[in-house]
Amino acid sequence: MHAAPHYDFAHATAALLAIAALLSALAVLAVKQVHEQVRVYAVLSLFAAGYTLLVGAERADVVLIVLGVWTAVIKVVVIPVAIDRQITRQISEHEVPLVVQVPMSLLIGVALAGLSYWSASALPIHGALLPSPALGMPLALVLVGFFFMITRQNVISQIVGLLVLENGVFLATVAIAPGLPFAIGFLLLLDLLPAVLFYGVFARLIAARARGTSIEDMAVLRG
Amino acid sequence: MGAWLIVALALAFGAALATAALGDRRWSGVVSALAAVAAFAVALVAVFGYHVSRGRHAFGSAFFLDGLSGIFLVSVAFVYAVVAVYSAGYLLPGIGHVRLRRVYWPLLNLFGLALLATPIVANLGVLWVAVELTTVVSALLVTAEGSDPSLEAGWKYIVIGSAGLAVGLLGIVLIYAAGVPRLGDHYTPTYSVLAAAGPHLNRALVHAGFAFVLVGFGTKVGLVPMHAWLPDAHSEGPSPISAMLSGALLAAALYAVLRLGAVAQLAVGASYVHVLLLVFGALSLLLAGFFALRQTNYKRLLAYSSIEHMGIVSLGVGIGGPIAAYGAFFHVVVHAAAKTLAFFGAGELLSRFESREVDRVRGVMRAAPFTGTMVLLGALAIAGVPPFGIFRSELLIVTGGFQHSKFALAGLLVLFANVAFVGLYQTFHRMVLSRGDRDERATPRLTRSEQPLMAAAMLASLAVVLVLGLWIPGPLNELLHGAAAVIGGRT
Repeated sequence: MHAAPHYDFAHATAALLAIAALLSALAVLAVKQVHEQVRVYAVLSLFAAGYTLLVGAERADVVLIVLGVWTAVIKVVVIPVAIDRQITRQISEHEVPLVVQVPMSLLIGVALAGLSYWSASALPIHGALLPSPALGMPLALVLVGFFFMITRQNVISQIVGLLVLENGVFLATVAIAPGLPFAIGFLLLLDLLPAVLFYGVFARLIAARARGTSIEDMAVLRG
Repeated sequence: MGAWLIVALALAFGAALATAALGDRRWSGVVSALAAVAAFAVALVAVFGYHVSRGRHAFGSAFFLDGLSGIFLVSVAFVYAVVAVYSAGYLLPGIGHVRLRRVYWPLLNLFGLALLATPIVANLGVLWVAVELTTVVSALLVTAEGSDPSLEAGWKYIVIGSAGLAVGLLGIVLIYAAGVPRLGDHYTPTYSVLAAAGPHLNRALVHAGFAFVLVGFGTKVGLVPMHAWLPDAHSEGPSPISAMLSGALLAAALYAVLRLGAVAQLAVGASYVHVLLLVFGALSLLLAGFFALRQTNYKRLLAYSSIEHMGIVSLGVGIGGPIAAYGAFFHVVVHAAAKTLAFFGAGELLSRFESREVDRVRGVMRAAPFTGTMVLLGALAIAGVPPFGIFRSELLIVTGGFQHSKFALAGLLVLFANVAFVGLYQTFHRMVLSRGDRDERATPRLTRSEQPLMAAAMLASLAVVLVLGLWIPGPLNELLHGAAAVIGGRT
């Protein structure tokens, strides 16, 4: 009798965090400024870290709690600050040219989210605390991340898109395989950091060479 | 066996540290070449000295070697060795760029380390990390020359490759989740554990998981339509790196697909895995063949040829049955040797003519008979002309196709093997055997004698692809049968 309220609270909070994460992913589609895109990514990561901590607390799993804290430190603070300081201050244009404008991007984003929930409903799996279909929200993040990468002609935006996509995969791991050994989750996060720093160096090199971070400035390879 | 595997990894890692400390010195090349050749020798001992065909663990469940991983380990170790030897000549002072020489050696050895680790780690999560490490390191190597096109190629590669690997990871997570009802919440996702639980894995999750794995890791393999990064990265990177990408990296990523495919077929049956491999394999063979015909850049032509050959391997495994699967794994080995030879030759052409354009390269045989001979033999080898090994592997796959009544697929392979032959032979014949003295733009900018280390690496690759075309040693034969029994050979 005592456990029921705790159970309901955890499920309700998880559902709220999932909705908030999904809305944050859609919000990335709505902003044109690269700085804003990075900040919205940080907010999305905060919800991802919150969900990880919640699952860890509900399962009394120290490993997941440590992973949640580690996620918060790396994805909410270190990566956004690294991108903000090392990359975006060095470029002249802060507004990203869009292949698909914001209203249409949002419509497509909502459609992709619907598609994700519809496809995930075919998979017979229960997620940790998440309402069914558990994979709906993580898949939506993956698809929105892909869409964002394809339609934003800017190297920094492409990094943000990749990070949104990676958050989707991370949330899928926590939701459907929370027992996946700590070493792997930790390695994935460790893997992310040098990768982002590498992207940063790369983006700076491209910006210096092509006098901008627009993808069109450097497109010479064809065929 | 485990100790030998550790030694192989330690050699590559030690060489990375040593060359980072040495910096831009001639000794970096010597250290790397010695370490890579030693790592290859050690890999041969680990694979052939312990009869791993039926599968053996080492260091608890840290490493796992069976026929499948053995074939890929031998292939990537061979490519690492010949590329390091070739590079020691290619990057001698006065030949390469200073910037290139400074970063090249540590990164090459780290790349070698990640490639050696990929087929031997037992944990599927660690396998993903190893493949991801190959992406980060090799993308830097692609940009090592620092030109604008190489920067663009590196960017495309890192973005598309990383997105693909994220999808591949989602596939691994789904396959892990498929085992939770049987194996519990906390289990180590090794191949042996998942294979033992195979029939009890959640089928729907395995179906979805393998589809994600194929699309995700297939992006790194360069399977059509996820291949967009590959022609740019292969053509703009330094030629020895192009050889390593084509001969080893694509194979390592394909290993990940096949290892997870081996798990999937135990849960959902071989036909699902085979059909997906057939679809992507046939598409790659078809489209790469057409794209290759219209290339005017000889390195891009070789890149499209790599896509085609990865398609052939997928097709061979997908056809199924012991003969086609055996041929597919044999194709992995001979393609590694043939493609390194071809890219080494392309590197020589680029050094001498300072152009990647076919029309700017003429009269190679007159200007440099050894290089001309190697370039032409490399082209003939990858085009699948007898007596080279690729002819033999393609013949095995076609035979397997006919045996399993997959006539259309066998016919497709025969047709596109001929299309590839026409495209490659026309192009390389024109560059090597036509007279160059009538066109000033197509004469060599640099005349020098062949560098002995580069020549040795080319001869080693040639020897492997030629000898294997005529004779398959007993231990390799046993290993190939072992690989075919893991995936593809089951019907």
